[in-house]
Amino acid sequence: MERRTISRFLKRTAACTLALAMLLLAGCAGNTGNSGGDGDSSGKTKLTLWHIQTGTAADIIKDAAARFNADHPEYEVEVVDKVNDTYKSDLSMAINANTMPDIFITWGGQTMYDYVDEGLLYDLTDLMNADGYADTFVDAGIAQCSYNGRIYSVPVENISVAGIFYNKDVFDQYGLEEPSTIAELEALCDTLVANGVAPFALANATQWTGSMYFQYLATRYGGLEPFADAAAGTGTFENDAFVYAGEKIQEWVEKGYFCEGFNGMDDDAGQARMLFYSGDAAMDLMGSWFVGTIAGENQQFLDDGKLGFFPFPTLETSDADPSLCLGTIGDNLYAVSASSKAPEAAFEMIQYLLDDEAQVERKAQSKIIPLKNFTSDDPVITEILDAVNGAAGIQLWYDQYLPAEVAEVHKQTSQEIFGLTMSPEEANAQLQAAMESYLAKNS
Amino acid sequence: MKSITMSQRRRRETAIAATVFLAPALLVIAIFVLYPIVQSFVTSGYEWNGYSSNKVFIGLGNWVELMKDKTFWYAFRNNLVVMVLSIVIQMPIGLALATFLDRVGKKGNICKVIWFIPMLMSSVAIGYLFRYALDANTGFVSAISQLFGGGKVDLLGNPDTVLYTVIIIIAWQFIPFYMVYYMAGYSSLPMDIHEAALVDGATESQYFWRISLPLLKPSIKSAIVLSMVGSLKYFDLVYVMTSGGPSHASELMATYMYTNAFSSYRMGYASAIAAGMFILISVIAIVTMRLLNRKED
Repeated sequence: MERRTISRFLKRTAACTLALAMLLLAGCAGNTGNSGGDGDSSGKTKLTLWHIQTGTAADIIKDAAARFNADHPEYEVEVVDKVNDTYKSDLSMAINANTMPDIFITWGGQTMYDYVDEGLLYDLTDLMNADGYADTFVDAGIAQCSYNGRIYSVPVENISVAGIFYNKDVFDQYGLEEPSTIAELEALCDTLVANGVAPFALANATQWTGSMYFQYLATRYGGLEPFADAAAGTGTFENDAFVYAGEKIQEWVEKGYFCEGFNGMDDDAGQARMLFYSGDAAMDLMGSWFVGTIAGENQQFLDDGKLGFFPFPTLETSDADPSLCLGTIGDNLYAVSASSKAPEAAFEMIQYLLDDEAQVERKAQSKIIPLKNFTSDDPVITEILDAVNGAAGIQLWYDQYLPAEVAEVHKQTSQEIFGLTMSPEEANAQLQAAMESYLAKNS
Repeated sequence: MKSITMSQRRRRETAIAATVFLAPALLVIAIFVLYPIVQSFVTSGYEWNGYSSNKVFIGLGNWVELMKDKTFWYAFRNNLVVMVLSIVIQMPIGLALATFLDRVGKKGNICKVIWFIPMLMSSVAIGYLFRYALDANTGFVSAISQLFGGGKVDLLGNPDTVLYTVIIIIAWQFIPFYMVYYMAGYSSLPMDIHEAALVDGATESQYFWRISLPLLKPSIKSAIVLSMVGSLKYFDLVYVMTSGGPSHASELMATYMYTNAFSSYRMGYASAIAAGMFILISVIAIVTMRLLNRKED
C-alpha cells in the first residue's frame, strides 16, 4: 500500500511561500495629487476632466478633448479615467484636499444637491441659457440637472429609463394588446396566468430589479412629490403612495404575476432573461439598456422582431402626471467645480462632448443621447424616446437619489415586500426610520 | 565572564537562528493580521462612511447598536447552523471517502481525482453553477420534480430552504478537503499496525472502529476546529449565491459586514461587526479546543 509523508513536503512548501511573501513586501509608491486649474510653464491654463467611461466610450471623451485643445491653444484639458466603483471616494478625497477637478461627473439627486449646498458647483444657468443651448436638451434631463431653479450640470452620456419590454410572440399568441392603464395590465396578466405563462420575468435576488416596480407604482399613485419630500425629510415614506406600491406588489405576487422563485434569481446571471427569451415569461420591467443587453447576448431575438416596449401603465384613479418616467436622463451629468480657474472654458469643453463629431460617435455606440433632435432607426429605441420626450419629469432611481445606507434599506425592504415576509406598512416604517436616522446624523 | 559552554553557545545560536527565521513571518502577520484587527476595533468607535474626512467619534455607539441588531444575531444564529451542519455532514462523509480510498489503494485513484474536483473550483464558479442548476424554472431539481408530476421547486428564493440549500453546496465544496485531510492522517499510521491487527484476527470493521479511528483522533479534532472557524467566518459562496437574502434568510455575519461596509457605506458599523465576529469566533474556538483537549486526558 502506498504511503507518503505529506508533512515534510508541506514544511518545504511553507518555507518557500514565506520567502516569496517577503519579496512581495518590497516598496510602496507615493502618489502626489494633481490640483486642477493651475497654469503650467508653457502659459497654458490646465483643466482636468474626470469621467468613468470605459473602452470605446472613453475614446469619445478623449477625442472631444483633443478637438477642444486644438481649437483653444491657451487651454489644455487633461482627461483622467476614473473607475466607477471608487469614483465617489476619489471625489470626496479631492473635495477634502481642495484639489477638485475642473470638470467631473455626478449622478444628480441628493449628492448633487449636497454639493450645491456646500458651494462646490459652478452655477451653469446663464451659460446654459445662452443661445438657447439648454433648450436643445430633453426637458426632463435639464430638470434632473437643476436644483432650486438653477442648472448645475449637463446631461451627456445616456438616457436610461425603465419601461416594460415584452415578447411579441407571446402577446400575439394570446391576442394581447399593449396596456395603457394598470387595470388593463392586470387583465392582461390574468389572461397570461390562466394560460400558464408567467406575466413578468423578474430576478430579484438583485433587489433593484423588484424595487423598480415599487418606484413606478409609487410614482403613478402620487407623482414626484411624495418621494422628494420623504428624501428631504419634509415628508415620509409612510405616505399613501408607498403603501399603495407595497400593497399592489403583494397583490400581484399572490396572483402569480411574477415568475416562480424570483427572489432567489440573479439578474446579472441572466436568469430572468432566459425566461423572457423562451416565452415562459411575457414581460420584463427593465431599464432601456435592456436593448443593448439583448443585442449582446441574443441578437436573433431582435432580428426576429420579437421585442416590444410600452411605458409603465398609468393609474386611472390618480391625478398624478401619467407621463412621468423612472430612470435617468444623461446618466452621467457633467458639472464644473466652483473652484475652477476657467469655468467658462470648462463649460465649453463639456459642449465638445456633444458636438456634431461626438454625436456621430455616440450614435455609433448605441448611446441614447439626451438631445431633443436625437433620432434612432431602431423602432424600440424610438418608442423609448417618445416616452422620454413626452415626460413632464423623471423620477431618478431611488437607489441613486438616496444616500447609500438608506438606499440599501430600501432595496432590502422592497425585496421583503416581494417575498411577503414584511407588510408594506412595516417595510415603509423601516425605510422611514433609516431616512430619519440618516438625516439626524447629517443635519 | 566564564567561557561559554557548548550547550550555552548552541542555545544562543538557536535563538539567533529562530529570530532570523521567524522575523519575516512575524512581520507579515503584524502588518496583515494584527494591524487590521486593531484597526477594526479602532474604526468601530466611529460613525464613518469609509471615505469622507468627516469621521465622527461616537464611542460605543456602534457596539450598542450591534447588541440590539436583530439581523446581526440572526446572522450569528445562521453561522451556528452552518457550523453544526458542516461538521455533521462533512466530517463523516470526508472520513468515509478517505477510508474507502485508503482501503482500495491505487485502484481508487480515478475516484480520488474525480472527488477532488469541487475543491479545485473557485467559489464563484460553484455559486453560478448551482444558481443555474437550482433555478426554479429551468434547474434540474424543478425538472425532476415536474417529471414526477410535482410543481416547480424554489430552493434559493424561499426563506425556509435557502440556508439548508447553501449548506449542502458548501458541503459539496469542502468534503474533498476533509477527504484529503484524513487521507494524510491515514498515511501517517504505520503499516504494521494494520498487518498485526489482521494477524491477530481483527476484522476490517473492528480495525476501523477500534484502531484507526482512535489513532486518527488528532486529525479529526483539528479538522473540527478548522471546519468551525471556517463556518463562522464563511463568506464567498453565500455572497455569490444569495448575498444573504432573501429577507436575510441566509445572512451570515461576514455577508452582513460586507453589505454594511460596501453597499451601505457604514464602515464604522461594519468594523464593529468585524470586531464582534473576531470576539465571538475566538471565544468559540478557544472553548472548543479546551474541551477537545480535556477529553484526551
